[in-house]
Amino acid sequence: MKKVLRLIVPVFMLALCFNVDAQILGNLGDVEMDERALYTMTKQMGQFINRFNYEEDQYGKKLNSNDPNFRNPEIRKNVLPLLFDLENPRTSGTLRDFFVEDLIKNNQFMEFLGGQWYSEVSAKFKWKGKMVDISMIMALEEEGLGSKWVISNVFFSEFQKYFPQGELAEREKHFLHPMSHELDFMNIYKIFTDKQIVEYYASTKYMPDYLTLFFYEIKQGNLVFDHVDSVKFHVFQIKNWYFEVSWFNRDGYNSGWLISNLYYLKDEEKEALLKLYQPTK
Amino acid sequence: MKKVLFAIAFAFFALTGYQAFAQEPELSPERKQAIDSLALEKVRDLSKYIKLIGSKNTPWSEANRVIDRAEELFAPDAEIGVSSLSKKKIEYYKVRQYLERLMRLNYDRVEIDWYKIQYVSDLQRQPDGTYVGVITIFQTFKGYDAEGRLVYQDTTKKDITVYVKRKETQIGGRLIGFWDVMLGDMRVKETTMK
Repeated sequence: MKKVLRLIVPVFMLALCFNVDAQILGNLGDVEMDERALYTMTKQMGQFINRFNYEEDQYGKKLNSNDPNFRNPEIRKNVLPLLFDLENPRTSGTLRDFFVEDLIKNNQFMEFLGGQWYSEVSAKFKWKGKMVDISMIMALEEEGLGSKWVISNVFFSEFQKYFPQGELAEREKHFLHPMSHELDFMNIYKIFTDKQIVEYYASTKYMPDYLTLFFYEIKQGNLVFDHVDSVKFHVFQIKNWYFEVSWFNRDGYNSGWLISNLYYLKDEEKEALLKLYQPTK
Repeated sequence: MKKVLFAIAFAFFALTGYQAFAQEPELSPERKQAIDSLALEKVRDLSKYIKLIGSKNTPWSEANRVIDRAEELFAPDAEIGVSSLSKKKIEYYKVRQYLERLMRLNYDRVEIDWYKIQYVSDLQRQPDGTYVGVITIFQTFKGYDAEGRLVYQDTTKKDITVYVKRKETQIGGRLIGFWDVMLGDMRVKETTMK
């Protein structure tokens, strides 16, 4: 019952919040239709950020930084829970409340050019005659007078298969001893005897560069783009938190770009994850 | 008349703003709002044109003229990417191709309406300094057969790219700066709303 109430109350608040007939910049349409669901929908990722920070009011009007309501913590506290997927227990329970509390208490905001947020574009490619799924990680990079999205990494199971983690004990068996140079590296052939583990002879710090492999396969003509399946966002910008934002195309007052996953994640733990998203950072 | 007034207001805005443009690389919130209005004016024109092109009451030759006008709103390489609930893969069309397809739809009567709501994003700068934003609008479409039966309907979300570029023109021997607004790629996505 408590759960049902928790779900109903924010949706009701949201409907009240966005029950509007005012327009900011003049009307486009001329037909009377129930538009509440469209107002409540978080229509763009930019709107998600503006709502997340409370930099626009419930009518979608941008607030100037000198407006008393700009980033107002009291209003923001009420708006933030509405940016979560309310149909998912993972993003509508206590964890969400802790997150909101943390954001308000520590005055934390999302910034478009603040880094540490990525887009994951899941796409289909043709690879050696068959359709495969590849996720491209996109990052915003500042350049010249502005910024642009760049491809920072790819996840493709076929590439990952080539570089299995392997048992540490097994990895430690494969090396060239430190005096090999005195023998003109006569033992170097050992590197190439088992092609499956050739990378064991690289530095312990070696990380396969999937993006280069991806570009190589495209240049070779082995990998051909077909279409995009879906887009979502991974946000690491908030201290000690990670969240994911996905698109919810559905009826009602909880649709559009919403938080679809939330984890408490210490900043120290984020570092390893961030390397996967942007290895060159 | 409205168009003339709009053109005068735009020229005034450009003239008075020239000095400020030359000195400030970033747009002030007030100027951003003025640019938002210019961009919305273009989107409003587009929505009117789409309604005319789709209407079965618009004569063929007139519809073709409207397509020309609509095409002029867009940057030359702009594309329209369309997907539906049943077909998620994006189909790409050139602007003219998309509008001609709309004109040739096989219904006896078509109703195209626009929701009053629109959402204008913040403007961001791309590496060459051009500002880019996205305007989101919503459209309902209804197609009827010869017996007047509703045979197809959908509500689509249209996300339209807007490019805002600083340009200069010579008036009376003086170089005058102004902001040029041009529409770019448009993403058309079906929603679950009917």
